[in-house]
Amino acid sequence: MVSTPVIQVTDLVKVYKGGTRAVDGVSFTVGEGEFFGFLGPNGAGKTTTIRIMATLLRPTSGSATVSGIDVLAHPAEVRKQVGFAMQTVAIDPLGTGRENLELIGRLRRVPGPQLRARIDELLVLMKLTESQKKIVGTYSGGMKRRLDLASALLHRPRVLFLDEPTEGLDPQSRLALWEELESVNQSGTTMFLTTHYMEEADRLCDRIAIVDLGKIVVEGTPAELKRTVGNDVVELQLEADGAEELERQRAAVGRMLDGFAPVTEVKASPAGIQLYVSNAAASIAELVRRLDGDSVRIGALTMHQPSLDDVFLRYTGKSIREEQATAHFSGWY
Amino acid sequence: MAAFVYETFLLGRRAVLRFLRVPGNWFGTLFFPLIQLLIFSQLFKDIIQLPGFKESSYLAYLAPGQIVFAVFLGVSWAGINMLMDYHNGFLDKLRVTPIHRISILFGEMVPLFFTSAAMAAVILLTSLVLGASLVTGILGGIGILAISGLFAVAWAGTSFVPALITKNEQAAGSLSLVFFPFAFMSTAFVPVERMPGWLQVVNNWNPISYVIEAQRALMSTGFDAALIGKALIAVAILFVVTQTATIWAFRRLTA
Repeated sequence: MVSTPVIQVTDLVKVYKGGTRAVDGVSFTVGEGEFFGFLGPNGAGKTTTIRIMATLLRPTSGSATVSGIDVLAHPAEVRKQVGFAMQTVAIDPLGTGRENLELIGRLRRVPGPQLRARIDELLVLMKLTESQKKIVGTYSGGMKRRLDLASALLHRPRVLFLDEPTEGLDPQSRLALWEELESVNQSGTTMFLTTHYMEEADRLCDRIAIVDLGKIVVEGTPAELKRTVGNDVVELQLEADGAEELERQRAAVGRMLDGFAPVTEVKASPAGIQLYVSNAAASIAELVRRLDGDSVRIGALTMHQPSLDDVFLRYTGKSIREEQATAHFSGWY
Repeated sequence: MAAFVYETFLLGRRAVLRFLRVPGNWFGTLFFPLIQLLIFSQLFKDIIQLPGFKESSYLAYLAPGQIVFAVFLGVSWAGINMLMDYHNGFLDKLRVTPIHRISILFGEMVPLFFTSAAMAAVILLTSLVLGASLVTGILGGIGILAISGLFAVAWAGTSFVPALITKNEQAAGSLSLVFFPFAFMSTAFVPVERMPGWLQVVNNWNPISYVIEAQRALMSTGFDAALIGKALIAVAILFVVTQTATIWAFRRLTA
């Protein structure tokens, strides 16, 4: 799967002042042209890892190379190879869209005529041609994101780092940005993305590492990871008046399915019960027959294949959505 | 070296555009000194009769102080711009480009020379229109603007250091107020002879007074080498102290 490694990270550790182990022994490689994702809740160490690789932060121990260049030994060389779209959209709000791109392009020493052509091309790709002469402060959140992404692509980087690229975007803008990221990847750029959106990792990434508390919990293609959960999920909504009645019906379901081999696990859900079923399509008819009777009233039945959310739950014992941000406090407040 | 100059130019041009695009920047800088120039020159008109004043009118005495006051106001919060870049991530974006890191700081500092000289020019021209004189002519006027620009960069350090250390706009803004007494205790409003003994001592150590005295000489008496020399030495000492601290704070912030 992994061809020539473009990114190689070995035993990376970052301990902040105060003792927080934000990154706690992370190792992985990313191959040429690959779209690799770090999926995890806020505070898992994703941003810290990406900032170390982008030469913005020094690790406590361990090493990282990009294009075979050590980020600690030759940060200036690494900077020439990478683009970085940060979680906070980093553009000059008092400059126009075009001025922002010109500034970064010139600082990156893209030659004049080439820079003009490249800016025009990226403005088209990011659908910003119309608004290139407007002050960025007037842009929408989606436009700022796209401009930021364009500024990270000016010098045709070999590797693009994306930290939560669609955070705070509405669904349409998110979908549009995904398409743009896919086309950047298809043009040969190696992508490293962090996200806490399952759908995003699932849609974009060739390979995913699930991270939690500074460690990689599991790594693989989205399909591989979902297969490790194995079972399909069947959700039964129960029609019950009151909690007591609901509990009684859940118990009844448990009794009726006792000894039914395809059901491997039964879990209460807010409005009913969740069943983990191997090969649900084949066993659903028998399952429903077994539940036939007066003691259980089924309001709705849904089946779905395991999502990355189920994968996350399986490996960390918690749902990614329950996780809260643990912000680092700095400065005088 | 050439790379560093080019990068400073690119970033400095952005800082100048940013200054011009927010009217509050130049309006806020000019409003207070202009009002003082217009009102105090009338309100305290008769103060000129007291011993210690050598000028023909209080306006003539007041004008150089207000030029320096405008420069002072213009740079007292200058460090906050870099702090905003720090918070919105733009500073990190610059740090990911393969440039000399110090260009980022110089790109903020060098434009202050030019924007402050321009602010000084507005106050100087206004005071000439109101009736103040400029005995040293164009050359002296350029000298006034040059000293203003140098003082601006030197004084800006008093804003950059607290801003970059606290990383907090409010804290940095409040700390700038700590330096305000230096402007009011200077010879901007009354000559040192009219001050109580302890304020005279303070003035011996107040770089703002040295800058005002040189500019007053250029406006009212002529090219006074001693006063201009003292002003340049005061600015040079201030420059070395504040810029050393600023570079230290900048390195610390972007480590």
